[in-house]
Amino acid sequence: MRIEVTRDWCLHMAELEGDEEIGAGSLSVDPTFDGESLTQSGAPVVAFGRFVSLMRRDRGLTVEKLADDADVDVAELVSVEEDSRYKPEVRTVYQLANFFDVPRTTLLQVAGLTLPKDDRIVEESVRFAARSEPVDALSREERAALEAFVAVLSEDRTKDPSLG
Amino acid sequence: MSVTSSAVFLLNVETGETESAELWDAITEQQLADWEAEWIPELLGAIRRLHRAGVPRHAWPQSRHWDWRKKTATLTGMLAHPAFSLVCRGLTQGMMILDNTTKRCRLPAQAGKNMVYVEYVENAPWNRPELFDPPRYRGVGSLLVRAAIESSRQEGFKGRIGLHSLPQANTFYARTCGMTDIGVDPDPGYSPMHYFEMTQEQADAFVEKGGKS
Repeated sequence: MRIEVTRDWCLHMAELEGDEEIGAGSLSVDPTFDGESLTQSGAPVVAFGRFVSLMRRDRGLTVEKLADDADVDVAELVSVEEDSRYKPEVRTVYQLANFFDVPRTTLLQVAGLTLPKDDRIVEESVRFAARSEPVDALSREERAALEAFVAVLSEDRTKDPSLG
Repeated sequence: MSVTSSAVFLLNVETGETESAELWDAITEQQLADWEAEWIPELLGAIRRLHRAGVPRHAWPQSRHWDWRKKTATLTGMLAHPAFSLVCRGLTQGMMILDNTTKRCRLPAQAGKNMVYVEYVENAPWNRPELFDPPRYRGVGSLLVRAAIESSRQEGFKGRIGLHSLPQANTFYARTCGMTDIGVDPDPGYSPMHYFEMTQEQADAFVEKGGKS
C-alpha cells in the first residue's frame, strides 16, 4: 500500500507533534520479555560471572583477549567475573551471548537484567555456581557443570528470537 | 514478503532539517532485528537511568513489556492485521500493527460501523522525549496515524480509526490528531487507558492540518 505525502506535510505535522509521546496498545505484560531491570534488588548474580569466567577459560582466553574478541570493555569484563553484585550493561551481555553462542534473552535473565520467566533457569544458575570454582584450570567437574549449564541455556534456542 | 515503500520525511531535532525516510507497509525481520539489537538495549539503558535518577516506577515507559517479535508472529501473519514501519538512515524508527476486521466504532455518531483499530504503535526509544532529551526524530506518530487513516480509507471505512492510548500519549491523540477521547475503558483489560476514536471528518481534518498532502 503506497501512501502519498509531501515533505511539507511531514514537516508541518512533525512540528505540531513536537515532543509528544505516541504509544498506543494494550498494557498487558508480554510473557517472553519483561524488559525490567532487577538492579533495584541488588541481588548477587554469581552464576553469570562464573559462567563467563569458565567459558573464557574453556577457550583458553585471557580476559583481555575475550574483551577484544567479543568487543566489550575489559574493565567491565573484570567486574563481571569478580563482582557478583555488578550489573553489566545490556550490550555487554548481548555481545557475550553472541560470542559464546547462547540465547541472549536467557543470558540476560542469568545476568539479572531481566526477570526470569523460567524458575528452572534460576535453579540451574544456582546449581551451576555451586559446582564451579573460579580457579585457573578447568577441572573435569567444572567442565561437566559448564556443559550442563550451556545445555540448559540452549534448551529454548528454537524458541528464542534472539538467535533468529 | 512483498513490501511497498512510500517516501516520507522525518524532522531531525538536532539539525532542524527534514530527512528522507521510508514508510513500509509491513514489519519485516529487519524491524524485529532492530527492535532486539537497537531498541531493547536503548530502552533498558533508559530505564536504568530513570531508576538511578529516582524516577518512580509508574513513570517508566509502559510499553517496556512489549515484545514486537511475539506480536508480529501472532498478528501480522493474518490479513486482518496489516502492519507498518518507518525506516530512516537504515534504522527502524517506529512500528504499528492494525486490526481492520474485528473492532467496531463506539462513538454514538458512528456506533457499530467498521473501522481500523490500532493494536500497537510505538516510537523507537531514541525518539521518545521521556527517555532522550532531545529526541532524535519528530513526526513518527503523525505518519503512522496517517498510515492508519489511509488503511481505513482503503478498506472503505472512510478514515475511521480507534485505539487505546498509553497514558502519556493522551495529549497527542487528543490535540495533534484531533481524536475524540471517550474516556477510561471500562474493560479491566485496558484500564486505566483512554479509548480514542477518529471520525471521517476528524480524519479529513487531520490530513488537511498538515497542509497539501
